Amino acid sequence: MRGSATSGRFADSRLLRDVVGVAAIAVAGAAGYWLFPDNLALLTRVIAVALLVLSLDLVVGYCGVATLGHAALYGAGAYAAGMACLRGVTEPMTLILIGAVAGAAAGLVMGTIMLRAHGLAQLVLSIALVQLAHEAANKASAYTGGSDGLAGFSPSPLFGTFVFDLWGRTAYLFGLALLIGVFILLKFVVASPFGMLCRGIKEDPVRIRAMGAFVFPVLLKMFVISGAVAGAGGALAALSTQVVGLDSVSFELSANSLVMLVLGGLGSLYGALVGTVIFMGFEHVVSAINPFHWMTMVGALLIAVVLVAPGGIGGLAGRLFPTMPAKGDDRGGRS
Amino acid sequence: MSGRKLLGAALGALLAGTVAAAADTIKVGIIGPFSGPFALQGKNFQAGVEAYMALNGKSVKGHDIEVIYRDLPAANPQQSRALAQELIVKDKVQYLGGVYFTPDAMAITPLLTQANTPLVIFNAATSSIMTQSPLVVRTSFTTAQTTTPLGKIAIERGIKKVITAVSDYGPGVDAEVAFKKAFEAAGGQVIESVRMPLNTNDFSPIMQRIRDSKADAVFAFLPSGPTTLGFVKAYNETGLRQAGVKFLAPGDLTQESDLPALGDGALGLLTTFHYSVAHDSPENKRFVEAAAKAIGGIDHLSFPAVGAYDGMHVIYKMIEATDGKQDAQKAVDAVKGLSWTSPRGPVSIDAETRHITENIYLREVAKDANGHLYNKEIQTFANQKDPGLAK
Amino acid sequence: MRGRACKDRRIAVADRNVFMQTVFSIAIDAVAYGMALFIICIGLSLTMGLMRVVNLAHGAFAMIAGYIASFAQRELGTGYAVAILLSILGTIVVSIPIERFLYRRIYGSPELTQVLMTIGITFCVIGITNYFFGPTLKTIPLPESLSEPVDLGFRAVAGHRLFVMACGLVVAAGLWFLIEKTAFGIRLRATVDNAGMADALGVRTQVVYAVSFAIAMGLAAFGGVVGAEFLPIEPYYALRYMVTFLVVVSVGGAGSIPGALLACLVLGTIDTTGRYLMPEFGNFFFYAAVIAIVCIFPRGLLGRAQ
Repeated sequence: MRGSATSGRFADSRLLRDVVGVAAIAVAGAAGYWLFPDNLALLTRVIAVALLVLSLDLVVGYCGVATLGHAALYGAGAYAAGMACLRGVTEPMTLILIGAVAGAAAGLVMGTIMLRAHGLAQLVLSIALVQLAHEAANKASAYTGGSDGLAGFSPSPLFGTFVFDLWGRTAYLFGLALLIGVFILLKFVVASPFGMLCRGIKEDPVRIRAMGAFVFPVLLKMFVISGAVAGAGGALAALSTQVVGLDSVSFELSANSLVMLVLGGLGSLYGALVGTVIFMGFEHVVSAINPFHWMTMVGALLIAVVLVAPGGIGGLAGRLFPTMPAKGDDRGGRS
Repeated sequence: MSGRKLLGAALGALLAGTVAAAADTIKVGIIGPFSGPFALQGKNFQAGVEAYMALNGKSVKGHDIEVIYRDLPAANPQQSRALAQELIVKDKVQYLGGVYFTPDAMAITPLLTQANTPLVIFNAATSSIMTQSPLVVRTSFTTAQTTTPLGKIAIERGIKKVITAVSDYGPGVDAEVAFKKAFEAAGGQVIESVRMPLNTNDFSPIMQRIRDSKADAVFAFLPSGPTTLGFVKAYNETGLRQAGVKFLAPGDLTQESDLPALGDGALGLLTTFHYSVAHDSPENKRFVEAAAKAIGGIDHLSFPAVGAYDGMHVIYKMIEATDGKQDAQKAVDAVKGLSWTSPRGPVSIDAETRHITENIYLREVAKDANGHLYNKEIQTFANQKDPGLAK
Repeated sequence: MRGRACKDRRIAVADRNVFMQTVFSIAIDAVAYGMALFIICIGLSLTMGLMRVVNLAHGAFAMIAGYIASFAQRELGTGYAVAILLSILGTIVVSIPIERFLYRRIYGSPELTQVLMTIGITFCVIGITNYFFGPTLKTIPLPESLSEPVDLGFRAVAGHRLFVMACGLVVAAGLWFLIEKTAFGIRLRATVDNAGMADALGVRTQVVYAVSFAIAMGLAAFGGVVGAEFLPIEPYYALRYMVTFLVVVSVGGAGSIPGALLACLVLGTIDTTGRYLMPEFGNFFFYAAVIAIVCIFPRGLLGRAQ
């Protein structure tokens, strides 16, 4: 297995690589702020979805659980934050926390139902769960606004001074800070023995069981962590757009986030970010020119990725620069 | 010689300067479904806008109008807000228009005051949108507005007991509430109210419910497209029509773009609505000609086009009133009480609610001389306001 | 006193009659809908169970068939039967190169890869159909004989529904015969049980796969056309019902014909009954039932052991 902590030099180089990585994210974020001052609302949405895709990477890339229902966790966070804000809790960081807790709770429920099944049954359960969540959000329109969406709430200024205004500056910088913070935390999680166990489960659950570890509680724990991240993303989206719609809890969002993840490459966390930026950037540009061709392009891209670059863009990068420690997942690149 | 050149250059610069100053461009951002399952409705928006501009010119008082279209394929409040924000901040539009779905409109209204931009709604049909911001004007209709006359009509035709079957979403619930109120006020009885999930494909169980209820008529509301088709088909196929159960609905269900697909099964259906493409008036003839050309065929033309056409009329009047300056409150105040003859009939913008007051027509689906299905207007209810907003 | 008891009894009998009629009525609707689903989904069940490919693009092929049938009837003026034939052939023809160049690469790949590839194919099909045919829905006109309501005494049923039920039964019987009684069926079962061994014994597994795929596509095409009354043909068909198809197949157990039949009937009944009793909650029952069944029977109601 990769990255045993015994080799000091290797651990150091990994630490360096991660520091550089995080710095790169910060720089990219700042660049976004300076280069696209009129598009900050879009960029904040990208960050929110990036959090969702990160959470998906935890579950799909590190644990090997295929799911098409992760939007339920994102939506849980979004609605929780929106409802709390409507009822007077307007401090932004508290709202993010509320979203994370809601997402974690949803992750607990979803994981409990889903994780005992395998393969196709698991996939179908995830789909059924997100559809059920969608129905529930639609029916409970007194709380969620139903198909009209939850609107009319606004968070109070961050730290009392930075207002969440039309230009979205506060929201963007806040989101960027949140993303970097969560990213660093997740890097610790996946590098920990717990993270190793998850990866082991992905590669060979039988051997892990033979080792004496229990698979289900470990996966469930990761699901809860993933839920917290997704919920935080949902809360960020709710805060910045000040509207929560049913599409936050939709199968389409789940499918799209999976596409973004695969595009960027599973199992490296960086892939999640790269994939999200590329996909959503593409969508923004192409849909404006000709929305009819957007689906065809995404479809062709997916097919291409599967045929040519199974590790996603991260995997491609890993193969193009073999001297760098591989960032792609085991399927496409080399370890 | 150099003196003349200098003079020429100076004159040229002066001229260019004044011309440039006079011909500034006012941007109007239109948000609508230009792709996806409702693409035809978005196309209708575009057709209405282009028809108006073709008949009235592309500039007002020396200000050129530039229309920017943004695609919003479905009811997606977050995306709606993002698009509106982009139009305001990046494209610097002076007016926002369009919006097909209610949730999308609701998501935009909080931005208007901060952005100093009015919103002219070409379609979204829920009453409460107008109360969200003082800078919203609507030129379409509300479901309550088009449905209310049906209550009286039903009683007049001897219908005493009705079962309502609506799709379970905002406009559907609005329609059910409006009809119930009007019908019961006129002395009828709504014996049962059924709400169907939006993605229902198989309506036989609903038809069974309707049959079991022994109502004289069914009042229905569904979103346009496959669901309406399925519902009307089921109504015919399960023998409800033959059993004498009448069909009442607002005109969304028999909109002209759906009539070819509904076919003869739609003949005789009674609907109330604010606009029929077959409306007989010189304004409508001119409008239909221009809009049909813009959309590429009269078969595609439907009510969103007239909402867009009149919406552009309102925007033009706003630009005229503010002389091209961005002053949302002044613009909205200028059109309060505005009245004109629209292709649909005489209309005016209510000064209090900023919603359009218009005629509502009772129509019957009939075949014209060419075997073409159309909505024949058989009764007019003049100057209907939106009962949902009435105090 | 006696008169009143007599009258009460007559009312009770009448109520029971109405109740039975309602039950019957719901049953007919449920079976018709279930049969339409069955015809479409059985192909997917075979693909997933026998060829172990999670084919999320199955709905896309059913949709292509619907478009071909609609085009044939509207533009070329052919009759219903000819349209069905054309659509089945057309879909199979379209699917051959896709199978050869795309599906063959993912036999044996992990689930996620298959999901992604087939979602990609679905997206492409939607985009292309949207481009050529536009976003409005396309109807497939029924012949006179099928659109007449058939009077069953207590209610009328669209003739089309009875036709769909009959088709479903024919398909089920035909497939059973094919798989259990023919030589091809033997080779198919051998390939499913142990592809390596079958190959070693001389069964041309690539051919078996290709033929099975073609059969599955043909069935999807047939189902797409006859089921167009329940599931209208428009570009988002492929995505909209993909979840339903997938769910039906998992509940029934991939690869099992009786399983698929049972699942379609059970889910169809739950769905229809739910919509009758509490229409507002229509989808709740469906998905709740799915979750319950999959939790209790993770391999589906009658699934094969993997």
